[in-house]
This record gives sequence, structure tokens and C-alpha cells, in this order.
Amino acid sequence: MLRYVALKTGRAAFVVWAAFTLTFVLLFVLPANPVDLLFDPTELNTVPPEVREQVADNYGFNKPVLLQYADRLGHALTGDFGSSVQSGRPVASAILDVLPETLLLSAGALVLAVLAAVGIALVATSTRRAWVRNVVEALPSGAVSVPVFLSGILILQVFSFKLGWFPAFGDDGPRSIVLPLITLAIPVAGPIAQLLVRSFATEFHSGYVTTSWAKGATRGGIILRDVLRNASLPALTIAGITFGNLIAGSVITETVFARKGIGRLTQNAINTLDVPLVQGIVVFVAVSFALINLFVDLIYPLLDPRMRAVVEAQK
Amino acid sequence: MKIERIGMSDLRSSIEQSAPTRRKWPWIAGAAVAVLLVAGIGLAVGRGGSSAEASDDGTPVRGGTLQFALIDYQRSPDPQWGTNYAESLIGNNITDKLTWQDPDTGEITPWLAQSWEYNKELTQFTFHLRKDVTFSDGTPFDAAVVKANFDQYVHGDQKLGINPNGASLLPGYLGTDTPDQYTAVVRFAKPLASFLQASSFTANAQPGFLSLSTLKLSSAERADPKKIIGTGPFVYESWEQQVKTVLVKRAGYHWAPASIKHQGEAYLDRIVFNTIPEASVRTGSLVSGTIDATLDVGTTDEKPLADKGFTIISRGVSGTSIFFNFNSQLFPTNDIAVRKAIQLGWDRDAITKTVLTDSYSVATSVLAPSVSGYADYSGSVLKYDPEQAKALLDAAGWVPGPDGIRAKDGKRLTVKLLGISNLVVNKPAYESVQQDLTKIGIDLQLSVVPIPDYTAQVAKAKTDWNITAANRSRNDPAVLNLAYGPQLGNASFLTADSTGIDVAEVSATLGKLELTLDPAERKAAAKAAQDLLLEKYALVSPIYNPAQVIAHADYVHGIIFDAQSRNHFVDAWKSDGK
Repeated sequence: MLRYVALKTGRAAFVVWAAFTLTFVLLFVLPANPVDLLFDPTELNTVPPEVREQVADNYGFNKPVLLQYADRLGHALTGDFGSSVQSGRPVASAILDVLPETLLLSAGALVLAVLAAVGIALVATSTRRAWVRNVVEALPSGAVSVPVFLSGILILQVFSFKLGWFPAFGDDGPRSIVLPLITLAIPVAGPIAQLLVRSFATEFHSGYVTTSWAKGATRGGIILRDVLRNASLPALTIAGITFGNLIAGSVITETVFARKGIGRLTQNAINTLDVPLVQGIVVFVAVSFALINLFVDLIYPLLDPRMRAVVEAQK
Repeated sequence: MKIERIGMSDLRSSIEQSAPTRRKWPWIAGAAVAVLLVAGIGLAVGRGGSSAEASDDGTPVRGGTLQFALIDYQRSPDPQWGTNYAESLIGNNITDKLTWQDPDTGEITPWLAQSWEYNKELTQFTFHLRKDVTFSDGTPFDAAVVKANFDQYVHGDQKLGINPNGASLLPGYLGTDTPDQYTAVVRFAKPLASFLQASSFTANAQPGFLSLSTLKLSSAERADPKKIIGTGPFVYESWEQQVKTVLVKRAGYHWAPASIKHQGEAYLDRIVFNTIPEASVRTGSLVSGTIDATLDVGTTDEKPLADKGFTIISRGVSGTSIFFNFNSQLFPTNDIAVRKAIQLGWDRDAITKTVLTDSYSVATSVLAPSVSGYADYSGSVLKYDPEQAKALLDAAGWVPGPDGIRAKDGKRLTVKLLGISNLVVNKPAYESVQQDLTKIGIDLQLSVVPIPDYTAQVAKAKTDWNITAANRSRNDPAVLNLAYGPQLGNASFLTADSTGIDVAEVSATLGKLELTLDPAERKAAAKAAQDLLLEKYALVSPIYNPAQVIAHADYVHGIIFDAQSRNHFVDAWKSDGK
């Protein structure tokens, strides 16, 4: 068991380090100079060289690349990612400042998405009408195929501009989070629902269900008591993908609804080649990603006895 | 509110209409007519009501909050820093400048400086300051403040993490002397006629005055808007990165520029600058009444908004037009015949009709018409004359190939252009030029890319790109020297061995713009500079004049576009005062 934990933890640490190094390399391989992006692009050729030098010095961009890497890595280990090139604020506080907004949005969207996905799977499994099943089973692919951008704007047109039920932008109070929640939940619900529909169908035709039938259990009872429990477990395995969907979706949702958050911060940091900020965000996301996967890896044997047997056997 | 209600009835009627049955249609039509009638009456009553309150005589109403929308957000509340519109626009309303450039005449007029004089060499500018100006924390505005601001603005402060934001606006700045409390003498190493205009500059990284306590703050500490103290008509209430900035009026303000007729406190109690990146959300919010006004109105949104009763106001960006700068070193734009053929080879009417709105115009010089010294070249080289363009190319030995594209000594007439996609008009305008040039045998290849990619490519422009397409915002003819001066921007990459170009002549002609402030002499210098760039050496083909466009509700009044096309709200008011 200890070896299993050590292995998984080591892999998580490697992922975070690799993410840090890769962004560093990418940002330095990119042709644009981050210092140039601090000036008005149309006035670039009139910026005196000594000014450019002074600005580069301010951010340590003049040091040898390897030294910069070591310097940044050393500081990063203590949680210090330096200051944003664009705003001058410490990276950690820039991220922490917008983090609650994104957490609230993604946690809410996740709950909504899971409820919707379970609902879809339950309806698809329990219905006896083939056409209802077909319609419901088509929903997840639909949810995955509609771009967040489009669904966001459509939702806004109807519920904000036409009906005036919810504010169109900003984050004043709970009413303003409703539309972003729905927008973000749609693409996140898609893959979960697809997986659940499939595993519900598989479990529904497995041996223990036949036994339950034989014992005289009702259709509803079987689905809720036996199938739901066993079929939900695989959804955990795509927790990483779900997290990725939440992050990607939040970039667009936050932009369409003009909310502050990690997504918009990321987009802006990349557009302006804000090296320290991009690195801070990437490491933050990588750490979250690694932690989620680690958590799933560690908790899975506890939930699924079959996995426990595999882990025991490895000892 | 009224508008919202109309929106709902529209939807209701459309829902009703969406389930028609044949027998019911007369009834539905009747209902629709009734709904429309009610809506129309509601609108008329609403309008009538508001215009009655709005005091048709134009007497401003005090009070109220203006909800304003724009694309960008302020990355820091520090106004001396910043490269986007949100940053410069908000900076203009919390700080003041030494002088005010009249947006109509281009004349430099008094503001925080009551009067000024300069030496004959234009290396020393003496400003006599107003004595009644205070910062919002009560401290006085005086010569020491001017010195401290300019020093930090030009040199930056490494310890505080402050960049030299003003170094490119004030090249050769030596220092500021303070012979008495209200006199500031700004000294330069070289003549700098354009400094007078720079003292009024309201665009990116502007010289707006901050209190001594603000200047002592590090860049991180300047993230607290309450600590950013200016002398302007508004003060910060809050700043929420990515979301909004809220300003409230400064009590006791009474030093707005004399050419704004209203010098006293702002009429509005509060302005909320909402950042809304999505165009459809900005216009939707305006139409639904959530916001009162929005900047960054797209060309395709102007007419629909005007049809709905919203007012469109705009001002052309002062400085250069959007230009095609030719690389004078690189084949084939090192051939003056090619440069001249491009100037003549595209149809101005086509762009006006298909791409531009009334807020924009086709360029008739490299300077925008609002810049003093502008001259009109639409009668000479900046006109569509494909026959003359072909004749020029024929004479220079460019022979049409099998696909219609010309070649000379086996080399195709392919011209590579690098542009920025930040303005929506750019790409369609360039594509229109591209189509026309193909007809005369020039293959114009477009790379119109986002800002970071553009920035990366500009570094290689000398060897890789025949044309760079951009503009420069600076309402002073010396912008030509900044952009094209061989020792400065050198946008055409002139060197001693540029084919057929006398570089010394270009340096001298453009440099003259910094040597005089005499209006007649400056006008002559500006004309000479334009003659050289457009006619004699054909170093640039100006395309169109960009504009800043605002759409606002009919109850909003008095939004000012200044000489740099940034907005001031000291004179703005709402009819309902809410």
C-alpha cells in the first residue's frame, strides 16, 4: 500500500515540475519578447534601447536563461512566482484574488452537471419508451458539440436581454451567477452523462440485476439500489477530464459574462506573454490536476474492492 | 424600464405567432397590431416623458450614475502606466494635465498651467501654474509636484518597480527646475517642439499628475485605488480587476480647462466603467437598458443601434492614418515604381462603401485631418488610378506573367504585409486593397495577426516584411518625425544606401517639425514632410482614418472626445439625474 501511495505521489510531483518547465521553455521559445508587449505595439520602434533595457532589468529578463529558470524554480518552490509583468502585482495575490469566483462558478457548475448527468442516465435507463430513450441519449453528444461561446450568448439573449430575469454581466449578487452556471454546466455534463448512460446500460444487464429481478425487486428499486451505486463509480475516473472541461469552459464563460476569474486571467496573461503570471497559473492548475488524480487514485481502492485486491497483490 | 417592457411584449408576440393555425391568424394579427400599438405608445410616452424632464433648453441635470461599457479593463489604477483605452480614459478623469489641446482647433490652451513660455531653441519650457489647485487629499498642486512627477515618469523607479513610462514621450528630458512654488521649468537636451503637445497628452501612459504620497508607492501598493490621488474631476471609489472601475465626483473641483464651458464639479455623481469583452453583450446591455453608453461599437452595430434610437458619437483618432509603411530596403518595395503603383492601385470608393461607416473616412494624407498641418493629397498621389499605376510598373520593367502577376528579371511582384487585427475594420479594408492590386499585377500577401504576434514580427520587419500596417495616435505633426525619422522610428528602414533616397534630406525635413512652434513655419514644415513621404519618395500609402465610436441612450449628454479621442465626463449628465 505504501509503495502504491509513494508511486502515485511521485508521479503527481513530476507532472507539476514538468508543467513548470514546459511553460518556461514554451514562453522562451515563442518569438515575441515579453518586454516588447509592455509598450504600445505601434510605437515599438521608437522605444529607446536604454528604456527597453531598464524595463527588462526590472523583471529580470536580462539574465541568462538557465539562471532565470533556476531562479524562478527556486522561488516557485517557496510559493513565490514573482510579480505580474503587466500589473506589477504579486502573482500569488493576483491568483488568490480571483480564485474564489472561479471556485464558486466551477463547483456550482459541477454540481449542476452531475445532477443533470445522473438525471439523464436515470431517465434513459428507467424509461420503457424507446423514443424517450433515444432523445435523452442524444442530449450528451449535443451538450458536448455546442460551443460554450454560442450557448452562452443564446442563453444571454433569451434570459437577460429579452426577459430581463438575470443580469448580463459582472458579479453582483447570486442572481448574476445563474446564467454562467448553466452555460458552464452544459459542456461539463456531456461527457459525464455519456459515461453514465453507458455504464448504467451495462450494469442494468449484468448478473446481479437478474438476481434482483428474480428476487422480485421493482424496476425503480433495482435502478436506485443496485445500478446507481455500481454504475456511478466509473464517473470518478474521468474527474481529471471533468476538471479540464471546467477550466477550459470557465475561460469562455468568464469572458462572455464579463466575470472575473482564473479563466479570464489566464487568457489575458497568455495574450500579453505575462511570463510570471502564466507560470503561476499553469503550476496552480497542474497542482490541482495532480491532486485530483492523486485523490482519485488513492480513494478508488477504498471504494472498489476489486482494485483493493490488485493493490494488495502488488505488495 | 420602458425599453425592457417592449422587449418582453416582442417576445410574447413572437411566441404567440410561432404557433399559428390557419383559423386563428386574423386574431393573432390583431393581437400583434395591438401589442405593437401599445409598445409604440409606450415608447412615445416614454420618450415624451424623458424629453420633458430632459429640459429641451439643454440645462444640465445634476446627479445620477452613468453605466459605461468598454472592452478593456484597467490592469492597474496607476494612470501614468497603461497601454489600453480603459487605462487612458479612466486616467483622464482622475488626473489633469498642464495643458489642454482643443479638440476642434488643435490649439494648446491653459489647464493646470495658466501660461507658459519657451526659449528660442525649444529646449526649455517654463510653465506658470494655477495656484488654487489641490489634490483630492487636500495637498497643494505646485512646481515640486510637477518636478517629482516628471522625474519618475521619465526615469521610473527600480526600487518601487515603476517603469519609465514617459521616456518615449519626453525624449532627452534633463530635469525640471522650480524657481518658485508655482513655476516649473522643464529642460531638454535637444529641441523638442512637440513637448508642448506632450504636456496635454491624454492617450496611453499619459503625464497626469499624482500626489507626492502616490509617487512614493510601489507598483504593488498602487493596486489600492484609494491611494491613487489626483487633481481630476473624479476620484476612485473602487477598482475590481477584469470587472469594473467606479469613480465618484470630486467635491469642490473647479479647474476644468477653459475651453470646456463648464469648469465646476462634474454633474454626474458616479461613473461605472464596466468591462464587457463580448460585442453582443455590450450592445444587448445597451438596448436592454442595463448600461447607458458603450465605447467600442463595431461597424456592423452602428446602424442597428441608431435605428433603435440610440445616439452614435465618434471622433477620428488624431495622429497618423492607418498606413501601409513601405520597407525601402527590401525587394520589391525598394523600387519606387512599386510603391507609387500601390498608392494609386486601390479603389477608395470600394472601401468607403463596403467596409467603413460614417464614423470612419478614407485617408487623404498620412496625417489625420484633425492634426494641425494636415494637407489633402486625394488630388495628387492618393487617388485610384489603375491605368497610371500600370503605366508606372510597365515603365519600370515589370511584365505581367501568365497568372496576371507581374515579374521582373524572373522575380515575382509579391509584396508581404504585416498588420494587426485589433481593429475590426483592418482586415476587410486590407483585403479590398489586395483585390484591387491583383488587377494591376501586384500580389499583396496579408498577415493580419493579434498584437503579440505582430509585436514578435515587428522585430523582424526590416528583413521579412515589405509593408507594416498600423497607426500612431498623437495629435501633433511631429508624429511624422517620431514614426519616420531615420534616427527615430525609421518606419521605412532608410539607410545611407537606400535606392534613390536622400536620407539626410529626410532627416532634415522631418526633424524640422521639432525645431519650431511658429504656426506658419510648422505648417510649412508639416507640408514639406508630407510632400516628401507621400509624393517625392512614396514611403507610405495611407489607407483609412480610424475612429472611436460611442453609442449612448438619448438621455445621456455631454460626453467629450478630447484631442486624442479619449473621453472626459466632467460635462456629462443624464436627463433623469438617476
